[in-house]
Amino acid sequence: MNGSTDALAGERRARLAVAMSGEGIDVLVVAGNAWRSDYLRFAAGVTVVEGQAFALIERKKPARLIIESAAEAARFRVEQPGLAVSWEPSPIEATENAIRALGAKRIALAPSAAVPYRLAMGPLGSGIARATATLDRLMLRKSPAEIRAFRRAAALADEGYAVFREAARVGRPEYALVADVEAFFRSRGCPENFQILGAGGKEVRGMHPPTERRLTPGDLVTTELTPCVDGYYAQICRTLVLGQPSEAQKRAFTVYNEALERGIAAVRTGATAGDVARAQNEVFRRHGLGDYVTSEYTRVRGHGLGLYVDGRPALLEDVDLVLEPDMTLIVHPNTYHPEVGYFVHGDSVRVISGGCEVLTRTPRELFSVPIA
Amino acid sequence: MRRGLISWSRDEVPPSVLEGRVARLQEQMRAAELGVVLIYTSFARPSAVAWLTHFVPYWNEALLVVLPTGAPVLLAAFSKRVHDWIRSVSHLGEVRSAPDLGRAAAAFLGEHLPKPLRIGVLELDALPWPVAEPIIKSEHGRALVDATGLFAAIRQPADEVEIRLARRAATIAVQALKAIPTGAKRASELLSVLERSARLDGAEEVLPRLAPDLRANATLRRLEGDALLGERYAVELSVAYKATWVRITRCVSTQAVPPSWRGAADRFVEIAERLNEANLSLEPQVAGSVRPGKTAAWTLETCRGSPPLSIVATGETPSPSALPGGSLACLSLQLDLDDGPWLGGEPLILGSRGQPSRLLI
Repeated sequence: MNGSTDALAGERRARLAVAMSGEGIDVLVVAGNAWRSDYLRFAAGVTVVEGQAFALIERKKPARLIIESAAEAARFRVEQPGLAVSWEPSPIEATENAIRALGAKRIALAPSAAVPYRLAMGPLGSGIARATATLDRLMLRKSPAEIRAFRRAAALADEGYAVFREAARVGRPEYALVADVEAFFRSRGCPENFQILGAGGKEVRGMHPPTERRLTPGDLVTTELTPCVDGYYAQICRTLVLGQPSEAQKRAFTVYNEALERGIAAVRTGATAGDVARAQNEVFRRHGLGDYVTSEYTRVRGHGLGLYVDGRPALLEDVDLVLEPDMTLIVHPNTYHPEVGYFVHGDSVRVISGGCEVLTRTPRELFSVPIA
Repeated sequence: MRRGLISWSRDEVPPSVLEGRVARLQEQMRAAELGVVLIYTSFARPSAVAWLTHFVPYWNEALLVVLPTGAPVLLAAFSKRVHDWIRSVSHLGEVRSAPDLGRAAAAFLGEHLPKPLRIGVLELDALPWPVAEPIIKSEHGRALVDATGLFAAIRQPADEVEIRLARRAATIAVQALKAIPTGAKRASELLSVLERSARLDGAEEVLPRLAPDLRANATLRRLEGDALLGERYAVELSVAYKATWVRITRCVSTQAVPPSWRGAADRFVEIAERLNEANLSLEPQVAGSVRPGKTAAWTLETCRGSPPLSIVATGETPSPSALPGGSLACLSLQLDLDDGPWLGGEPLILGSRGQPSRLLI
């Protein structure tokens, strides 16, 4: 780990210890895997790439890590010398035994998304929701050090999008664009990125992993890039056209741009996640596009960002979570447009008292890539 | 998250092969009197569902429902607009939208299992609680049984289709390793080249681990940030192609290749070839071998459930689990040589009783 990662891990651990004390928890058992490694990263400073892992966090003792992959165990011993790491071919059983050996201590198990059946069926099952909520509260509002990491990730997202624009050329397959972007991120020391894209016209209803389809003139090319710095993900969504945009594409852009601006203007301390979604959706409804902000065509109008690429809160009209300072979000009115196809446009923001700070800086425009 | 090429070529993986695998599972289900088998998938645990249907989730979760007859049904937590993509890359019956997988599964079981029948779950112990809980609380809650052994019994040996995919994955990895610039000074430079090469060659995913300075430490790490490369370093590339994973490890010297490394590579081949279904141990040493070095660590991994690769045998545990001849596996080996550590790794086809294993490439 580098210095900033060490500092982040120490700071999170201190906050967690205070929260555990407040909740009367002596030992927190945190489950994770490559799909849900966010809680483990928060609590134990590790990002799991393979297999299952369980961290046993005691307030005043070094954390213990039980992990399924021998290779991962070996690297965590080097990367995190303060952790007591053990490789176990049956990590769930080993964790069950470790919990049993803790005896009369007050133990809690989290997070709900990653706790396995066998452990949940045991004596700690009834406390999963409460322990998960405790972690969620800690992870929603970012500390200054976390904001610094998020800010660096947002800057990297901007740079990554510039690489994507260069990569998007007629005749190239979709997966070549991702290859260029990933190569760029690795060259900047960024180990992880979530990226999906779409290319084509009205037939395109969403984004997906890259296919073998080759880009053609007139394509609308969408992407969301989500690089990770010190474990924290920031995201950018933009759309470009191969060649000159059509009038319909220009008209569509004005709708999405207005929706993004309204959404960002709605982000402020005290507003709800629903308010931000509603501000974006009202723009579509006013333009006669109300059908396209339903679940038939889109998922969310943005979401939380942090140690997970798709965190709380989901920006949906029925979500009443109140925004607080130093929450970090992507606001994106991404959805299908009946004249031009799927269209994306979004920026990463940090909630502040009177509004929000927009951290991605790529111009909000419908980019046009010249056809050679 | 998966962000490489995900596509389905009917030439590479014919529908009949996938149907044959499902039929083998269904045959086992009938023999075990299971009314249904549930198989969870996420990008962390994609391999069982991918082997049966060619579906790999790039993110999010899904649950495959296999009934004793008919095509498997996918309950997918993805939004509906992704369903067309799911159908384009996989061989499935119905795809159902299931934002809450557990509830959807409980409802599906209620519709399709009117009689009390046993419900097999692959890796039941590991099933995420939000998926398991609604099923446990349904009328079928007492019917769950673990189907891990049942699935493992049909998963290996590998068929020709899977071996071809693994060979392609291994070729992608080797080509990426060949692309390492001779003058690379920093890990970031190296990792960038590896990623570009592998992804341009069609890798579905590439996971690099790196020991940036072998003289300082031989542990393979996932780097966040950067590191200077030493005179000798090691790279492990885990590459997926069409859901088939291989691991390849190579040592790199910025100077002339040390003579000891050639001997180590020869020793690796000897060891790999000696493995077979009746002998999943590295000991005793090959009789008469004068190859250099002492074994510091080793693992033999294969795919027989939802993880892409899991350990069958290792130097850290005395008793390997059984694996039939013809299985696709990856051997990783670390040797302590007189002039420092050496790491190697290759995929292989495990030999049958009395037959040597064959390295894949």
